[in-house]
Amino acid sequence: MIKTFITSFKLKNTYRTNSIIYSIKQLPIIRKILPNSLYKNRGIKILATIISILYEIISIFIGKIIYMAAMILGVLSWYNMKQADVFIHIFTFLTLCGGILNTYMLNPTKDKYYAIILMNINAREYGLSNYYCQLLKVIIGFLPFTILFGMMVGIPLWIQIALPFFIVAIKLIVMNYSIYNFRKNNKVANENLPTKLVWGFVGICLLMAYGLPAINVTITQIIFLFVFTFSIILGVYSLVRIHNFNDYRKMYRQILTEPNIYRQEKKTEAEVIKNATLKQIELDRSYTSNKSDFAYFHDLFVKRHRKILTQAVKKQAVAILIVFIAIIIGIEVNTEFKNKINELLMISLPYFVFIMYCLNRSSSVTQAMFMNCDHSMLTYRIYRTPKVILGMFKERLKTLIVINLLPSTIIGVGFAILLYLTGGTDNQLNYVVLIVSIITMSIFFSVHYLVMYYLLQPYNVNTEMKSSTYKVVQGITYFVCWYMIQIQLPTLSFGIATIIFCVVYSLISLFIAYKYAPKTFKLRL
Amino acid sequence: MKLVVKNLKKNFEKKEVLKDINFEFQKGKIYGLLGRNGAGKTTFFNCLNEDIEVDAGQFYIEDNNSKRKMEAEDVGYVLSTPNVPEFLTAREFLKFFIDINQKRIKNKKTIDEYFDFMKIEQEDRDKLLKDYSHGMKNKMQMLVNIIASPNVLLLDEPLTSFDVVVAEEMKQMLKEIKKDHIIIFSTHIMELALDLCDEIVILNKGILEEIDKNDIDNKNLKNKIIEALKGE
Repeated sequence: MIKTFITSFKLKNTYRTNSIIYSIKQLPIIRKILPNSLYKNRGIKILATIISILYEIISIFIGKIIYMAAMILGVLSWYNMKQADVFIHIFTFLTLCGGILNTYMLNPTKDKYYAIILMNINAREYGLSNYYCQLLKVIIGFLPFTILFGMMVGIPLWIQIALPFFIVAIKLIVMNYSIYNFRKNNKVANENLPTKLVWGFVGICLLMAYGLPAINVTITQIIFLFVFTFSIILGVYSLVRIHNFNDYRKMYRQILTEPNIYRQEKKTEAEVIKNATLKQIELDRSYTSNKSDFAYFHDLFVKRHRKILTQAVKKQAVAILIVFIAIIIGIEVNTEFKNKINELLMISLPYFVFIMYCLNRSSSVTQAMFMNCDHSMLTYRIYRTPKVILGMFKERLKTLIVINLLPSTIIGVGFAILLYLTGGTDNQLNYVVLIVSIITMSIFFSVHYLVMYYLLQPYNVNTEMKSSTYKVVQGITYFVCWYMIQIQLPTLSFGIATIIFCVVYSLISLFIAYKYAPKTFKLRL
Repeated sequence: MKLVVKNLKKNFEKKEVLKDINFEFQKGKIYGLLGRNGAGKTTFFNCLNEDIEVDAGQFYIEDNNSKRKMEAEDVGYVLSTPNVPEFLTAREFLKFFIDINQKRIKNKKTIDEYFDFMKIEQEDRDKLLKDYSHGMKNKMQMLVNIIASPNVLLLDEPLTSFDVVVAEEMKQMLKEIKKDHIIIFSTHIMELALDLCDEIVILNKGILEEIDKNDIDNKNLKNKIIEALKGE
């Protein structure tokens, strides 16, 4: 078993180092200098291996500390109870969620697929050795932080030490149940596609975790002791069952199917195609288009992708309306809240750059455009003629702007109404600036994403994202928008500056797109 | 009319895939392009279709002794893996394709006539292309390229996904339309090349060379081709 583990580690390490080299090779400029023979360069290999091992070590701790800090420690101040009790309470229920959502063993990952399906490594030895290693990592990764955070909030030492073992026990119990189920029904669930029952269970656990302390109820240390002891006994029993189970190969064959493995990468594609099929029957009966050329083509694209286009923004619009209504009710009943909202509206416009960024659908829509349309059409030379490219660009721009306009108009107008209801403003121009700036932000994002898509066309024939420049631009966009959250500026001046920036940016980028898109918009080979 | 390729070069890093391609492809002929795995057949097609930039050399159309650039409208490229917009029905795809090619389609027919020509059944015509089989998608890809009637047709192993009946039909169809086109047909199947193609061209070690078929029987021709492919 140890031999299998070492082999599997080597395998994982090899393609991890190759991925690191590959990523380095994707960087602009650098890729031109580096040759393909890099993959066999010993020095680079060693360097990448070191990075890979460091990553492995850091990954043991980093996720755990973030998890505990954000999900438990960060929320303790919400409650008026003894912090130690709340800590143990939330930890226990979250562990139940985690146990069922993440078993390690039933996660269809590429490394398992390569090793078990493609390379025919002994499934039981592979599965078990990696599973034990993961469980060990759980203990090593959690222990320092359960002790550290436990001391900070005053938890008894035995519970600090017990908590990581509790996680492991729960994971073992869940895994044993999956194996039991597989023996009985010959079926095993892909843990990345939880059933409604699982989601229901997770929902209840989360409610218990964060809801109960709000009404001053937590599990006591005695209850935890019971739960822990019971879990450990069941956990040990499960461990024996898991260890003695023999049919891992058969079980993995069910989970490690290509659609499962590649689901994450092709999720959007799969969803879009699924939706397109669902819509098809209804559309073919009722839909006729009197348009022609690209307008016709694009029109059908929009109709066949209603779920990710029009219906998605309609849902957004409804959600936004509900939020506004809730705020309006809030300001009617609470004067303090009313004043706060008024004050926020006058200084927090920058925050809404980020909100508008999150709401904008253009990024996922351009992805669908590629996956379901341009991926195949770009192989036709006629589709790459300037006339067609620019014609399609125009149609798409119109659609993107219009689609995103619905939620943004509601937000803009909603703000103006809120401003009015919360006591108004001395300068009437504020109303106009609020509405117009939100709308221009929305147009800006639509233009930005479409222009980037046309200028950098980031995907290759296999629908993989290959452009690091595109990723960098996406990253910068995110960072700038996120940075805005922290800025507070008078709405009037910031709004006017935003409007001017968006208009100028949009005009310039449209000009550039018109000039260069016919050259840049092609398949990456 | 002919397609002239002169001193075409394409490297991938240090690897010279196309070293020095010089060839003239004549209208009215089907050229069988043979080459071993990785010889650069698809790269050659990608260059001609301007999917990738060439490192050196040129290619152009020569018509009545005048040269001109090979434009997008001149080329039709049928890939070995069919590419069709999956969210459209076959009928909608044809309509769109006819729309954008309006000006250059000679003797325009109705959409159903095109379907009849390609022997696509009535019941399949209004199905989403995503529900088409590999072979059917290939048929559609072939059809739109034929409708647009480009001067140069690049076919990258187009018959491999067809069943024997359809493959036979396609062969007949290519023979029928060849008089108006330059057809370059890449394949790994030697028998197919010998049966269908007027000329056999070998791509080996980055060089394109024609095999002289005259005064030679089939068996000797095959040996000659294999030797050429091996580079002997």
